[in-house]
Amino acid sequence: MLSIASSELIQIFRNRLVLVTSLVMPVAVSAFFIYQHETFTQLGSLGYIAAIVMFTVLAFGLYTTAVTTLASRRQNLFLKRLRSTAASDAGILSGLLLPVTVIAAVQIVAILVVLAVVTTTPADIALLAAGLIATVVMMIGLALATAGVTNSPEHAQVTTLPISLGVIAVASWVGIAGTEELTLLKRLLPGGAATELVSNAWNGGVPLTESLLLLAPTLAWVVVAIALAARIFRWEPRR
Amino acid sequence: MSTTAVIDVEHLNLQYGDFHAVRDLSFQVRRGELYALLGTNGAGKTSTLEIIEGHRDATSGTVRVFGESPRDRRAVRPRIGVMLQESGFSPDLTVRESVGLIGTLSGRTDVVERVLDVVGLTTRARTRVAQLSGGEKRRLDFATAVWGTPELVVLDEPTTGLDITSRDDLWASVDRLREHGSTVVLTTHYLEEAQQRADRIGLMHQGALIREGTVAELTATLPASIRFALPGTTTAGPVQVPVAATRQPDGRLLVETFDLQGDLLTLLTWARANDIELQQLDAGPTRLDDVFRAVSA
Repeated sequence: MLSIASSELIQIFRNRLVLVTSLVMPVAVSAFFIYQHETFTQLGSLGYIAAIVMFTVLAFGLYTTAVTTLASRRQNLFLKRLRSTAASDAGILSGLLLPVTVIAAVQIVAILVVLAVVTTTPADIALLAAGLIATVVMMIGLALATAGVTNSPEHAQVTTLPISLGVIAVASWVGIAGTEELTLLKRLLPGGAATELVSNAWNGGVPLTESLLLLAPTLAWVVVAIALAARIFRWEPRR
Repeated sequence: MSTTAVIDVEHLNLQYGDFHAVRDLSFQVRRGELYALLGTNGAGKTSTLEIIEGHRDATSGTVRVFGESPRDRRAVRPRIGVMLQESGFSPDLTVRESVGLIGTLSGRTDVVERVLDVVGLTTRARTRVAQLSGGEKRRLDFATAVWGTPELVVLDEPTTGLDITSRDDLWASVDRLREHGSTVVLTTHYLEEAQQRADRIGLMHQGALIREGTVAELTATLPASIRFALPGTTTAGPVQVPVAATRQPDGRLLVETFDLQGDLLTLLTWARANDIELQQLDAGPTRLDDVFRAVSA
């Protein structure tokens, strides 16, 4: 797995398009949110900024890049090549997705550290970490499922839009409007419960048990995404 | 060569919807032999190889490789080197990185420099795959197949796209693998390569194995041929020659025989005795492509 991850990291840094999509763009958007933090705090809260920054990085840096990577590696038969070795399917996927996952996680941590330095520290760092980890896993699951219906890297520009824009829209809706109204709907939408969890972790003031319950919808999306991926993920291009 | 079966295929079927890619296919590949699977495009050769490699599930039937299911990657893959029909390398990695990566994942040990030397890609080690020619990509593919001298090497059209020198080099490498005891299974459209190299050949047509045997066994099923023209007899009409002959569309006469030497001697003796010049004379044993054409007609 580590040798695949190492080669994948080399490929990311040799491909300018992937580099811009996964590194530069999310950081630029996040920097804008932090620069304008007073405006966005009035609109929602500091927790909202943390959530929207997290979802921006995960949607573009992790999810879109992961789908594009998998579609590209399948299209040029690199997945088939890897499967002709002794590496397991799980090892191959882990190796392919580990670099983008680590890069996205490091980016988010760095950006949130900057946000904490510029504003205030989060109320519950452990809860924030739990929310981040659950959301990362959910986005990886959704990426595997989306890769199943994506024929090429070019096609990924279309197939990733509903989820990448959707989770950011849901995060903005929940972060700005709160969950007093349409509570169940907001929590069940992908990213809704995670946004509320991250907001609670940053802003504080909500009992821990109540916040932990918000992990359930996110983990449910993980199960749904993995089940979908198991059915529709393909290792070779359609003939 | 041992009689132990490295590959054992029994009543294999592969169906895509209504299309039967492989029909009731059974054959064995013995340890140490070079087995060539030949057939027209769409005959089912690559589908069969992909099931043997564990890339594809059969609709029915069984395949055992070293006595194991080919889907048991951990048990089987370290013992198999695979050269796919299409390359499947990342264009952004260099030759050295590609060989090192696939080699490391193969479960066998070897040295990148040695393998690159074997396939003649040492000077291209730092070149990205995207910049390689088609022939160089085939050699890179071959490099990953021979990494660590596997017990079984599966080569899917290994010489397609290679120039004559690269083809000779590849076959020399295959010969060295066999000296180390490797078993080789291959498909090829170059029948003369199979005729020269294969211990046994399986001829596939429309998904089924329709002939199997050594080159001698396969060619023995068809007569050898003698072709010639007689001066002034290029039009239709009875021809007086000492052996049974039929006139061909090009005007030449064709003698089909299971006694090539005897009939040729009879014909030449008759020609000399009658002071007749046999024009465009062409005589030879049955070739594999004659068998191939006969079974795929």
